[in-house]
Amino acid sequence: MTASPIRLLDLAPVSPLRSQTIYHAVGYALGADSPDTIMLVSPNAPYVSIGRHQDAAREVDLPYCAEAGYPVIRREIGGGAVYLDGNQLFTQWIFHADHLPATVEERFVVYADSLVRTYRALGIAAEHRPINDIHVAGRKIGGTGAARMDGAEVVVGSLMFDFDVATMARVLKVPSEKFRDKIIQSLTDYMTTMRKELGEPPARETVIAAYLDACRAVLGRDIERGELRADELALAEKLDARFAGREWLEEAGGLRKPFVKIHEGVRVAEAAHKAPGGLIRCVLRVRDGHIDDVAFSGDFTARPPSMPFDLDELLAGSEISEKMVSEKIEDYYRRVRPEIPGVAPSDWVAAVMRAAETEAPA
Amino acid sequence: MTDVRGCNIPEDLYYWVEKHVWVRDDGDDVVTVGITDVAQHLANRVVAVTTKRPGKLLERGQSVATVESGKWVGPVPTPINGEVLEVNPRLASEPTIVNDDPYGEGWIVRLKATLWSVQRAEMHTGVHAVDEYRAFLEAQGISCA
Repeated sequence: MTASPIRLLDLAPVSPLRSQTIYHAVGYALGADSPDTIMLVSPNAPYVSIGRHQDAAREVDLPYCAEAGYPVIRREIGGGAVYLDGNQLFTQWIFHADHLPATVEERFVVYADSLVRTYRALGIAAEHRPINDIHVAGRKIGGTGAARMDGAEVVVGSLMFDFDVATMARVLKVPSEKFRDKIIQSLTDYMTTMRKELGEPPARETVIAAYLDACRAVLGRDIERGELRADELALAEKLDARFAGREWLEEAGGLRKPFVKIHEGVRVAEAAHKAPGGLIRCVLRVRDGHIDDVAFSGDFTARPPSMPFDLDELLAGSEISEKMVSEKIEDYYRRVRPEIPGVAPSDWVAAVMRAAETEAPA
Repeated sequence: MTDVRGCNIPEDLYYWVEKHVWVRDDGDDVVTVGITDVAQHLANRVVAVTTKRPGKLLERGQSVATVESGKWVGPVPTPINGEVLEVNPRLASEPTIVNDDPYGEGWIVRLKATLWSVQRAEMHTGVHAVDEYRAFLEAQGISCA
């Protein structure tokens, strides 16, 4: 570790592209004599950022983003697609690797602590949910990520003034509109922001002051305002060209997650099962190993017509196990005696379990 | 298996210790490259690995692959100069083999080394490698326990 001061780069809003390339540039330009850096920056226009190994065309509604004027930019940080705009203040640490703890988990403990202390100073009861979420009463308030860039360990996250849930759900490529509705509902239920918690978010300067105090306390080091170096800016310009190119955006992604993660404990997935009497679609929201919400639809004919909705209600809260789900549905068949030709209890169970299987943890 | 602070460090491989990369000499200047047990432990569960394509020429220190764990992305620097001959085809669909078997099924690439006789001397192997790795892990406070 070290006692040398940390350079603060508190930047004016920059283009979406530069809001990504600038911290990569500082990371890759880090030399033996370079200071550790904390960078604060917001984009001056909305955009979509995708994870290092995601397939842009599979994860994001690219035609919609083009129409809406949202650039889609791959980052060298992992994780999923996210809609970003000026309502988030990115808080990026670009440190010499040996100035941060060695393991990823330990780095997140320190980094998350700085965000948690900031929110608490602002009157928001935030806490770190390992590995890298910040929660307020079970709702996520921003995500974090990390990467190695040559000699630099980079940890990124944001302070969430506000978040546009509807646009976030709109930019994702989803299997159905029902699924999209579930994403909107889930983000509304399980995400929060400074605006949600406080009514009005504090001024940017107030948040930054609280954040810098928190960083000083967590890292035990001084923080001094500084400027970008010419070599960092030159590298950012080079990276602008690379990050804006089709080759980088369309690079084959190896990461396949057939679900949308809302936060560490909550995921939404969709699956279909072909029963003799028709196709059953199941949109499933799982929270900590239980069915938090489920919605059935399909081309079957049921009497009573309320049957799929009855099953939605019946299964909410159930543990995800074939036995538990099966018992509840068989009990419904015994009590209600539905007329639904070619659809047995086992078909509903199969649809649920198939959706549940797609949500294996990352 | 040689246990170093809970990490498996086989003596029959060559190591670039501070980069947590291993090399196996397959003969005729062909080598296999992978990440160590320490690296997979530090990174946590791997969710994606992308590699440079066969035919790509690399110099020592350049990235031969990018590894993404649930929370972190990092490069796999090649410890030697060479041309990528082959990439592990299973990594695309089963990236966790890097965690489960980092020295076996989880190998990353095979290279045709261009300076093997020189660069092998710049790496550590055998009992000496184990000692070097132990000293490094102790200095960094790293263990796989």
